[in-house]
Amino acid sequence: MRTTRRQFLTMASMGAAGLGLASCSRGDTGDGGGGDASGDGTSLTFTWWGNPVRNENTTNAIAAYLDENPDVSIEAQPGEWASYWDRLATQTAGNTAPDVIQMDMAYISEYGGRGALLDLDEYGLDTSDFLEGTADSGVIDGTNYGVNAGINTPLVMVNTALLDQYGISLPDDTTWTWDDWLAMATSITDASAGAVIGTSAIISNDAMFSAWLRQQGKELFLEGAQLGFEVDDVTAWLEFQQKFADAGAMPSASQITEESSVAFDQSMFLTGKTGMAMYWSNQLEAAETASGAELTILRFPSLDGDATTRKAWYKASMLWSASARTENPEAAVAFINWLINSTASGEANLAERGIPANQEVQAHISDLLSDPQQRVAAFISEIEPELGDTPIAPPPGGGQFGALLLRYATEMLFGNSTAAEAASGFYDELTAAVSGS
Amino acid sequence: MSALGELSKLKTGGHQTPEQRAARRKEASRDNRAGYAFLAPWLVGLFAFTIGPMLASLYLSFTDYNLIQSPNFTGFDNLVRMLGDERLHTSLRVTFTYVLVGVPLQLIVALGIALLLNKGMRGLPFYRSVFYLPSMLGGSVAIALLWRQIFGTDGLINQMLRAFGVDATIGYVSHPDYALWALILLHVWTFGSPMVIFLAGLRQIPTMYYEAAALDGANKRNLFLRVTLPLLSPIIFFNLVLQIIGAFQSFTQAYIVSGGSGGPSDSTLFYTLYLYERGFTNFQMGYASAMAWLLLVIIAAFTAINFFAAKYWVFYDD
Repeated sequence: MRTTRRQFLTMASMGAAGLGLASCSRGDTGDGGGGDASGDGTSLTFTWWGNPVRNENTTNAIAAYLDENPDVSIEAQPGEWASYWDRLATQTAGNTAPDVIQMDMAYISEYGGRGALLDLDEYGLDTSDFLEGTADSGVIDGTNYGVNAGINTPLVMVNTALLDQYGISLPDDTTWTWDDWLAMATSITDASAGAVIGTSAIISNDAMFSAWLRQQGKELFLEGAQLGFEVDDVTAWLEFQQKFADAGAMPSASQITEESSVAFDQSMFLTGKTGMAMYWSNQLEAAETASGAELTILRFPSLDGDATTRKAWYKASMLWSASARTENPEAAVAFINWLINSTASGEANLAERGIPANQEVQAHISDLLSDPQQRVAAFISEIEPELGDTPIAPPPGGGQFGALLLRYATEMLFGNSTAAEAASGFYDELTAAVSGS
Repeated sequence: MSALGELSKLKTGGHQTPEQRAARRKEASRDNRAGYAFLAPWLVGLFAFTIGPMLASLYLSFTDYNLIQSPNFTGFDNLVRMLGDERLHTSLRVTFTYVLVGVPLQLIVALGIALLLNKGMRGLPFYRSVFYLPSMLGGSVAIALLWRQIFGTDGLINQMLRAFGVDATIGYVSHPDYALWALILLHVWTFGSPMVIFLAGLRQIPTMYYEAAALDGANKRNLFLRVTLPLLSPIIFFNLVLQIIGAFQSFTQAYIVSGGSGGPSDSTLFYTLYLYERGFTNFQMGYASAMAWLLLVIIAAFTAINFFAAKYWVFYDD
């Protein structure tokens, strides 16, 4: 038998149709069915991003809640930060968003402003024991879309053992400047002959760029979806960061690209390839667990060499939100109330999500905290005199800040654009993103 | 063969009486009903899961749908924005490079391996399976992750190079000059399914043509160019059409290798990846739907061009 024209066309059309079907059927569901309703009792789905320590804590917390509430069932959906937001967006679009959602400041107005999140106050959220100024982190235009799951602050972690090996001493973090960071990172790279790179990159780090801006009296975002800085600020930042690259004090553009999508415990700092890195305070325990080394925490630097002018801030490390389309809003908020206010939840989670905002829980667990968590708790209270105003939640579209800056910054680092070109490209695209186009 | 049978039936139909014809019609309509009954599961799937969503996305492409709130009709706004969207143009450039380089390379490799395997060697089923294996795995997340490990800055390739004293510091999946080529290599590596189809096609070529040509003194090169290629051209065409359609829709590899960003500096920003980013990261599902329809138009155009060009080079032996 030879191939005839008719056989060929049949084969081709079947194959083409098959391919078309396979690919078109994905992603076009605008109006899918509702969530899964279970028969008896209340069932909740619960999602969070995290790390092995948090996953274990959270699993224990869920077990404790189920012991107290045997008629509730909870389906856990743990995830990784890198893929968490894609999945949440997909689930939200498909009308299968989890009932209880671990939310981030960067995305809360994105989801809340579009009506995807429940008004927690309406269903009896209880923040009566919260530390002053921590109860309304997730309130946007008068609606409470998320409640503080722990207090957090940005800091610098240093792998002291690694530094000792090369005879590098720690800076005085009450007086060090951004230039000192560069000098220290350079000396680590030089002393180890490149075996250890000075510092993990902060070039596209929104917290460090924000800190640097705030010390100049500016902000990332202003009320009304405005940017609080100018193109020139970005140019200056990128030019400063280029010095790290020129000195070999931070990873190459390729390594930065690769690092942007690896799991928490695979980062260059936690695998001993860099000497220091920016992290959030609540990550210290997980970081020490992952790296197996004791890490030292430092204040991020200031421009003037005086820590009291460094404009530090407390941030809700993450927030508890509920889906606006949950079938059990009362049960979802009851679970959130338990997470933030019960000592049992405090005992399970300790300070891994940040220091609890509920003062009673905070007092109850202070003796139970692990060594790294105690150090963080002490650090957080120590830096209180150094606090500036609390930054506002980024507007919708602002959640892309890090990804956008990374793209333009690596383009500069690969030598495909100048700092000024990268800065203006970034600025234009971010402006467009927050204005909703 | 079957076509001839149909023809002869049609001819005899002309000599029937009106009664016989009515009876045949009745029988035929019963046959049709049975046919549709058997087709029903597929038709339900077609309308519910393909046509329906496609029409929905056609409507959404004229709206500002953001996944959460109900859509507002915005006319041709999305199309106008697509004209000025530089990243969209980048993604088209990346995707065209991938298709126009990756598909021909893959087919050449597939044909080459098929020719080797067609020499009647021992253990053919084994080799066939071995060469087909990458195709089974190639589209998977695991292989994309493996690719990232092998071609990363501290990946297998660079470690081997360093063992030979080369100062290898380039991450092939994370450098804008190389990342797309690493993905094209991955595509070429999954040559298995066109290879199997080529192999089947090669076995259908009657040996008498080769014998006759050999008697006339044709050398190997001429046998290939003047016997194998013309008789295989329908199969080449078939593979070409399917692989082009498939390559335009590539998503998984780029998504995993670049961590969903299309990076470094948009060098692996496949069209589908950008579409996904617009739809699910930026919540612009209306715009993403418009992009999906542009992709459909592009693929349709390529397929039409393919079929038109086929008149000039595809040889049907019937």
